[in-house]
Amino acid sequence: MVRNLPFILFFIFFTLSCDTDEGQNQGYEPTPVNIAVPAIFSQLLPAPEIPANNPLTEEGVALGRALFFEKKLSADNTLSCAGCHKPNEGFSDQRRYSVGIDGIPGFRNSMPLINIAWNTKNKFNWDGSASSLQEQVLEPVVNEIEMHNTWPNVVATLENDATYLTKFEQAFGSPTISKELAAKALSQFIRTLVSGNSKFDNYLLNQATLTPLEQQGLAVFLDENRGDCFHCHGSPSNPLWTDNDFHNNGLDENFTDLGLGDITGDPAQFGLFKSPSLRNLAFTAPYMHDGRFQTLDQVINHYSEGLVFSPTIDPLMKTVAQGGVQLTLQDKAALKAFLLSLSDPSLANNPGYQNPN
Amino acid sequence: MLKPPIFLLLLLTSFVGCNTTDDSPQKALVSINFSHSFNQQTLNSNNFNALQYTNAFGTTLSFSKLRYLISEISFTNQQGIKTLVKDYQLVDLGEDTGLFIDDILLPEGTYLLSMRFGFTEITNTSNVYPDLNAASWNVPEMLGGGYHYMQMEGRFLDLNNEEFIYAYHTISAVQNPGPENTREDTSIALNLGEITISQDQTQINVTMDIDQWFENPNLWDLNTLNGMLMGNYTAQKMMQENGQTVFSLDTSMGN
Ligand code: HEC
Ligand code: HEC
Repeated sequence: MVRNLPFILFFIFFTLSCDTDEGQNQGYEPTPVNIAVPAIFSQLLPAPEIPANNPLTEEGVALGRALFFEKKLSADNTLSCAGCHKPNEGFSDQRRYSVGIDGIPGFRNSMPLINIAWNTKNKFNWDGSASSLQEQVLEPVVNEIEMHNTWPNVVATLENDATYLTKFEQAFGSPTISKELAAKALSQFIRTLVSGNSKFDNYLLNQATLTPLEQQGLAVFLDENRGDCFHCHGSPSNPLWTDNDFHNNGLDENFTDLGLGDITGDPAQFGLFKSPSLRNLAFTAPYMHDGRFQTLDQVINHYSEGLVFSPTIDPLMKTVAQGGVQLTLQDKAALKAFLLSLSDPSLANNPGYQNPN
Repeated sequence: MLKPPIFLLLLLTSFVGCNTTDDSPQKALVSINFSHSFNQQTLNSNNFNALQYTNAFGTTLSFSKLRYLISEISFTNQQGIKTLVKDYQLVDLGEDTGLFIDDILLPEGTYLLSMRFGFTEITNTSNVYPDLNAASWNVPEMLGGGYHYMQMEGRFLDLNNEEFIYAYHTISAVQNPGPENTREDTSIALNLGEITISQDQTQINVTMDIDQWFENPNLWDLNTLNGMLMGNYTAQKMMQENGQTVFSLDTSMGN
């Protein structure tokens, strides 16, 4: 009999563990759903990475979408995530600094929320301060200059709303509302925000032609002796148009914002910020972490003749001693035309991204 | 009461079964570790950004990025049979990724270890490796397409003792950058020599002597060759020559 004890114990544990998911709807499974992967992504990139503990489901995404547009997440019911990540502004914000519920502006430009499922580096925010999407999405709610709320308060508010009780139950098999589940649902929705239908994408699929100016601009972008943008901002081979990595691209001699270095404390990382994707620049002005540039012309002028040296400047900014690569006016115009071909006007109209509330 | 003997019997037969399957040698689980040194000093991500290395030219330099591609990782046994254990591996010292190839299962015995720095003409095809695309490892078509072999970047003290930046990137050498370019295979076959694999020799250490990139046979002057090297055919050929003595098998390591 003693020999069988482990088996018996195992059996008991096994049955017990089935019962311990308290309150969960026995046997209920939400409907799995996949990210709509653009054709050019499936040709060139690995499949998106979805954490095993938070698979995408129809009901989870629907809940996340409702929460993303939900003003009740903020302390005074006036501001939703979408208030600073606007679908028609590339899920970013055209104000230099987004303004929180108390009328206080932040100190960084909002970030576009697209193709995040392909960010395998898993470092979020301009300074990499969040190490997972789930961690990131909890923060705006409690951030004093953003939604200035508390999670217990959000949970209490949602619990008073019968539609949310139903939505949480449909998404996670339990009407229990928690900040962890809210974060899971928000993360699921954000992972469905995919942008891969620009003119340039269609050109790569042989479904569109570039103008001669756009062609020239691509050449400038890829030319080591001119733009040399591809080392940090992707290329026709990496249609994310970012390396999701951190660099100092020569904006300042002295830093008021230490960026990544503020998080890591490493002086070699002072003034490093995440390279943003160059998709949807037509909708995401102003540019850079502090939104200092209103126009793409200003951005291009920066790289062409505005670079300044600081000890952490990226080694790829090789012409910093001359202030930049000194593009001709023709090259500048071409580069701009090419950059704009990476914008995806269909993004804002995607029926899956509209306010459902 | 019958149960215990049956269990014992089963146990016994399984033991016996193990011993009688065949006469082939025991297998060992092997891993390859890529390590890095500069003039005998170990370099890892912790000593990145420290301006503390001096190359043969006498320039003081530091590292902020070191990524490179190794392909055709193979073991050839004494009968001349070659086992390819991995098609390619992107090593990224700064991110501490790709430093190991684990779980290589090989029969005990003596092998020649070979690999390649970079891709050959045949394997260096644009866009075919999704993980490398996502790592922005590509080379633009105007520069021959395909993928980088290495990106080594950092800072150095120039002739005025001021900090300057370098980006030592190696690719297939290319002539006539532009639409009509011609590419030349400058990958480096690495015949690393003999290694005996047994149950107690399971860690193989391959070392990159970074100083060699700057030294042998071409003395490298970062003051003149510090950037825009991808499209520089002569520089690429020099890098390929210097790369011949960069990698070695470190046999001093035990398991
Ligand atoms: C008041 C404006 C504001 C609100 C409201 C807001 N955000 Fe943000 N969001 C920002 C700003 C600004 C940043 C950049 C922050 C930084 O780098 O310090 C950002 C960054 C992010 C990022 C990082 C993106 C990346 O690629 O690294 C995610 C994800 C995000 N927000 C999601 C959300 C979600 C989910 C909500 C709602 C719960 C939300 N945001 C509400 C302004 C806002
Ligand atoms: C060394 C890496 C690197 C290179 C090379 C580089 N960039 Fe950037 N780029 C960055 C980083 C990092 C940022 C964000 C910097 C910040 O906000 O502080 C950025 C920001 C931008 C932005 C603003 C995007 C936004 O949404 O705010 C644009 C546009 C841009 N770069 C275009 C280019 C172009 C065009 C080139 C080539 C001429 C180029 N970059 C070369 C790293 C790089």
